[in-house]
Amino acid sequence: MATSTPRPLTSDLAACCWIPQFALHCEEARHPGFTTGPSAVLSPDDARKVWQVSRHARRVGVRSGMTVSQAIGLAPSLKLCEADPVHYDERFSGLLAALTDVSPVVEPAELGRVFVGLDGLEGIHGNVERQIEAIQCGVRNAECGVEIANSSLNSALDTPHSALGVRIGVARGKFIAWVAASRAKPGSFVIVRQGTERAFLDAQQLAVLPLDTDTHRRLLRLGLSTLRDLSALPEEAVTSQFGDAGRKLWRLAAGKVVEPVVGRRVPEPIVQSLTFYTPVAEREFLVQAFSRVLTLALAHPRRTGWRVRELRAEAKIEHGASWLATFTLKDPTATLDRLLALLRTRIEQAPLTGAVEKLTILLTDFAPGTTELQLFARDAGAEARARRRDALRTAAHEIRLRFRRPFLHHVIEVQPWSRLPERRYALIDFEP
Amino acid sequence: MVKTARTPLRPDRLRALNLPAKVAVTTDAAGRPTIVHREEGDLQVEEIREIWRIDDEWWRSPIIRCYADVVLSGGKRVILYQDLVSLDWWIQRP
Repeated sequence: MATSTPRPLTSDLAACCWIPQFALHCEEARHPGFTTGPSAVLSPDDARKVWQVSRHARRVGVRSGMTVSQAIGLAPSLKLCEADPVHYDERFSGLLAALTDVSPVVEPAELGRVFVGLDGLEGIHGNVERQIEAIQCGVRNAECGVEIANSSLNSALDTPHSALGVRIGVARGKFIAWVAASRAKPGSFVIVRQGTERAFLDAQQLAVLPLDTDTHRRLLRLGLSTLRDLSALPEEAVTSQFGDAGRKLWRLAAGKVVEPVVGRRVPEPIVQSLTFYTPVAEREFLVQAFSRVLTLALAHPRRTGWRVRELRAEAKIEHGASWLATFTLKDPTATLDRLLALLRTRIEQAPLTGAVEKLTILLTDFAPGTTELQLFARDAGAEARARRRDALRTAAHEIRLRFRRPFLHHVIEVQPWSRLPERRYALIDFEP
Repeated sequence: MVKTARTPLRPDRLRALNLPAKVAVTTDAAGRPTIVHREEGDLQVEEIREIWRIDDEWWRSPIIRCYADVVLSGGKRVILYQDLVSLDWWIQRP
């Protein structure tokens, strides 16, 4: 039986909390002095490359994505640290939990960046500045691991640049809030008041837009360097050159998009772990161990009647490192083989860098319905697709009757590799 | 290789997309396009991003074309090519 999903909470007024180089800051927090000289965290996917780089290292030319040997060649005193994604994820989850105490609408964007919805918080925290103070307090709580409600105690503990160096931007819509946060100094904030969004955006460089390198280069060649230059062009002209992506960029630059913050649902996860008496490195054995842990997790009574939409696999590696893989399934499932295939592929793509002491599987999000337990349950998604097909079939039939020929077509690939553009794609009559 | 479209594939029901249109072009001494003459008005070629030549289907009716990926005044990007058999110029979308 299909279960209706409650609609998530949303908020137009957004605060973007950004902690750049989040992994590096986590390492600095647990190893004070790590970033006082040139230092870098290795990539969790490829330990031969550097991932996040301190400003001292950037000054001598070390860049993210460089190999370790290149980086050491530029900075012989470079301190390196293996990535510990489980730890960073725990710190980030702690941050999200602390911000959920400030507002019920919290949307994580990426590691180190989170949006907080501020609609309706005036009655709880006061004006926008007080709301920002509450967010900063929440960040400090996450950092210190204690709850500090006393504001005088807060200021006693206040340091202009906390170890997490959070930058906060507040505006209507996530994009402008994010741009404002990127303009803020560490530990400070920027507020873009209503009515001043256009003036704020006009002064920003094109690089604040979500652009790929090729599009950025083309825009620069067209003589456009700021959002004012881009929004001064007609929207249709930008769309004809860059397609839907161009339309979206134009609308962002013109301040016409207000993307609300969408609060995330946090269902209680199902967790299963397996600890090895001696660390294990053999890949096939680890896959079998993951299979056993996954079987236990899927057999959990709370999972009955639900399919898995999101799965996390963690491995604690000896000498303090860790490995983390997260999967979000477009087609939720409760089939062991499908979930195990995902894990196996990820282990091959991003091998574990050491012997494993502990494996953990977390099932963190679910969708209703399983084929094996609800044989007569109706799959809401398949019903919707069938209804759409019926509607299309009826529409196509009516058009053919009225106009004596079909006007609905598919675009299909014929020879997409062809050097002649007119041979790559073709139209074919639509038949549902 | 054709993606499945549920419709049974019949060559007589396929219609090409992005067919080129004949156009008049002014070139410089090196043969590079400089002005595209259209009914709506003439457009200057602001930038030539790339030029390439293809020689294909020599065993059938030879296709010998010189292509240019250009940006016209106003920022519009188009593909121009000269058919080196008939020496006509054609224009199409990228």
